[in-house]
Amino acid sequence: MTGLNTFLIPAEPYYRPVGDEVAVFEAAYRYRLPVMLKGPTGCGKTRFLEYMAWRLSRPLVTVAAHEDMTAADLVGRFLLLAGETVWHDGPLTLAVREGGICYIDEIVEARQDSTVVIHPLTDARRILPLEKKNELVAAHPDFQLVISYNPGYQSAVKDLKESTKQRFVGIDFGYPAAAVEAEIVVRESGVGAALAARLVEIGQRSRNLRGQGLEEGASTRMLIHAGRLALAGLDVAAAAQAAMVLPLTDDLELREALGAAIAACL
Amino acid sequence: MLAPADPSPPVLAELAGRPPLDVLSRQAWAAIAAQGDPGNARRWAACIQALLHANAGAACLAAVLRLHGTPAELADTAQAVTTICRHAGAAQAVACIDAWDRLRAPGLWPGMIRLAHDAPDCIASAAGHAGAVLQAVGSDGFSGFVALGLRAAGRDKVRRTAFFALTDPLARRALAQGAGGGLADLERRLKLFATALWGRPPAMRPLPAAPNRPPARRASLSDGVILLPESFPGLPPAAQPRLYRAAVAHAVSHLMAGTQRQPVGTLKPLQLAIIALIEDARVEALALRRFPGLRRLWSPYHVAQAEGVTAPSLLARLARALFDPDYTDSHGFVTKGVRLFGEADPHDTAAPRRIGGLLGNDLGQMRIQFNARTYVVEPAYRDDGLGLWDFGTQSETPPDLLEMKVEAARVRQEAGNGRIEGPPDSAPGAARARPVAAASGGVLLGRYPEWDPVSGVDRPDWTAVLEVPALAGDPRQLEAMLDASADLRHRVARLVRAARPGRPQRLKGQPDGMDLDMDAVVDAEAMRNLGVMPGDRLYRATSLRTRDLATLVLVDVSESTRAGGILDIERHAVALLAEAMSGLGDPFALLAFASDGRERVRLTRIKAFEEPFATPARARLAGLRPGLSTRLGAALRHAGSELAGVRAFRRLVLVLTDGEPSDIDVANPLDLVEDGRRAVLGLRSRGVDSFAVVLGTHGAETAARMFGRSGHVVLRRLEDLPARLSDLYFRLSRR
Repeated sequence: MTGLNTFLIPAEPYYRPVGDEVAVFEAAYRYRLPVMLKGPTGCGKTRFLEYMAWRLSRPLVTVAAHEDMTAADLVGRFLLLAGETVWHDGPLTLAVREGGICYIDEIVEARQDSTVVIHPLTDARRILPLEKKNELVAAHPDFQLVISYNPGYQSAVKDLKESTKQRFVGIDFGYPAAAVEAEIVVRESGVGAALAARLVEIGQRSRNLRGQGLEEGASTRMLIHAGRLALAGLDVAAAAQAAMVLPLTDDLELREALGAAIAACL
Repeated sequence: MLAPADPSPPVLAELAGRPPLDVLSRQAWAAIAAQGDPGNARRWAACIQALLHANAGAACLAAVLRLHGTPAELADTAQAVTTICRHAGAAQAVACIDAWDRLRAPGLWPGMIRLAHDAPDCIASAAGHAGAVLQAVGSDGFSGFVALGLRAAGRDKVRRTAFFALTDPLARRALAQGAGGGLADLERRLKLFATALWGRPPAMRPLPAAPNRPPARRASLSDGVILLPESFPGLPPAAQPRLYRAAVAHAVSHLMAGTQRQPVGTLKPLQLAIIALIEDARVEALALRRFPGLRRLWSPYHVAQAEGVTAPSLLARLARALFDPDYTDSHGFVTKGVRLFGEADPHDTAAPRRIGGLLGNDLGQMRIQFNARTYVVEPAYRDDGLGLWDFGTQSETPPDLLEMKVEAARVRQEAGNGRIEGPPDSAPGAARARPVAAASGGVLLGRYPEWDPVSGVDRPDWTAVLEVPALAGDPRQLEAMLDASADLRHRVARLVRAARPGRPQRLKGQPDGMDLDMDAVVDAEAMRNLGVMPGDRLYRATSLRTRDLATLVLVDVSESTRAGGILDIERHAVALLAEAMSGLGDPFALLAFASDGRERVRLTRIKAFEEPFATPARARLAGLRPGLSTRLGAALRHAGSELAGVRAFRRLVLVLTDGEPSDIDVANPLDLVEDGRRAVLGLRSRGVDSFAVVLGTHGAETAARMFGRSGHVVLRRLEDLPARLSDLYFRLSRR
């Protein structure tokens, strides 16, 4: 137990609910249904889950999925110890055995063949087969699986298998409404309400260009960064340029247009 | 000084008996000889003699002899004039001499000589406008400008004349571009800027000058379309981008406020101008609430001072007073306007008409004259206000409104050009439509056999495949179509990124590599403990995926694609696919085909393998028109022979068709199906894959017969094509 307890969230993380997501998650947790958090990057998916883990007093084991991740990185593998092979549980197995929330962030980044290991955990069986070790781990009653993914990646190449998708309860995260987003920016960056509202207005300019050359508009996270830069004494236009324009695009014409639109907001 | 031994040139003797040339030539020679450059002086004399022998005529000779300058430049001039005179005649040569004397730009001559060879009828016009051209494109740019005009107009004399008279839109665009800072350079930035402000991409088009009218000086708005002048006259290039941005921000303010057309009714031109001014102020006030930074963008253009009581200056003063809270103006008209405007709610769309009516009456009572013809809206970033009015269709328009009505109708038509089929608006370098050349049959690309089902043999050289020049369409239409499907475009771009080579592939259990393969190491250790000799494949490595696929896309443009907008959907799908293929760096060509009997299987090259998918290719894709029949076999055979010349590991012919093959000289279409099947087999034997995308269920069976069960796909829902075609390509390219 002690191993997993280090994953408990000690203090309440700031999270501003924007819809019924807390109620949906709690309902899903009551029956331990697997949950999928969808939404663009930087809109608060991870923060939400930290908040829920704190609220439900469950340890949160986070795995950031990546291209090179194998099934062994999730479930565990034999390692060599003094000439002997010793089994080491992976993060998923740890959460399954001891009853935590396992959060696989940006699951589409992993290869599809790596992620099918979660299937037996997400239906009525709730078991994790450790093929190498020849063991079936029955999930702890408190175990819950949560994944996140950015629908922008939806494509034939990087998409969840239909068989994976259909196992989850979905919670959609969009950019919050302007007033709510401004509130979040105030709280997270410490800037005043008026400046936060301007930053949100600026963010909206970049979101308008999604699909017109930008992959994604500025996330709430970017707005917070811009707010912090402004608080550190940077001129707002310069802060927006550094925190929102430059990271978003290398296209000079796009930068210029976005810069002009930002200037219009200030 | 010329050595005394240097004799006077023989041409002087030849001209001796021809007044006034005798006097002029002696004076000219004296002036040249006095400058101490005997080499060029002799060259000049030789050129004058050549000119004389070219039957230049007295007027032309006199014009050359009257020029002053260094011997070198006069000799060059005389030489060029001689050439022009030989090819185009003396009158044209005189026009060139005048132009040169005015401008003194040596860069003039190569272009003029080219014109003398290719379009002598245009010389006088080109010489007359040479000043404007040189100013825009510089001395070195003149011959390029001439070349552009000749290429663009082809054999179309009317267009050529228009080009060199600078009334053709292409000429105007070239000049605006040459100067830099013109609309063509800025269009994308402006569109992005407007999109960022407004939230959706606005329709934006250049506003070309009407024939025999000065170029547009102000932006215009017409039913949601922003029309911008090719450049703002009288402004240095460096100042143009800012004014364009201000104009676009103003137009977007109208779009955001939802400015609607309203009937003119009985309003007078002055009232129309004032109402438009108040409406401008209203939408700007609304926009400034949301985007306060626009004030900085607009304020430099509000330069009116509290002086002058003509109608235009009073209007400019009112415009400034409504915009600029720090501006003070005590004129009664202005203060009344400010008061009325301040009392109105900016969201009240009826207010401008009410206020404008009152203010218009005031000016009328002050007996202030207003000339609608010469009035230009100030400040410069504002639109001309024509988009505000519905002049109706009644013919009894008062004469003072007639010109406005005509201009408004023209602007409306220009705005509509983006949607409906307007005259082909070819971009620089795009091949121009030449219906005559197209009808004459095109260039023979090759002859191909066709299957004779009766005798069971290939009839040798039975079909002739011709290349016909492409009609240039408006690439903006294509762009607008792609813009409208931003999500789809986005998705395809993602697919491209995922499939792009350079993404490393993970290889496990390698005999060597940069990392240990942990699983393999553990396995090996376990094996060793068991006393079994472990393998040596203990490493992980990555390898780059490579793509080596060349694709030729054959697009069916036969008459049947006219129905239900099939061709438009094909065009959209092909444009998306072409963007994807360009993004991947896969070599590809686009060909459209239609046939008119076996001797005329017509191929239109939209894009060749070596060419980028840029504006000219897009214009050709936009210019495809439906017509004629579908002789697929011949098109396939030709596609195969084109692909044979491309070096690639895999070669693919992707056919887009809406039905079964047919042609006017074939009684039984099944013969052509069989021929198509044999053509596909022929391709396969040459190592070329073929795949057909069939639109609608009509051709499903024949496609299966020709391309095999796995070699085709049937799309029942036409509108799926754009999304499916690119997906399909990715699937095929992975195979």
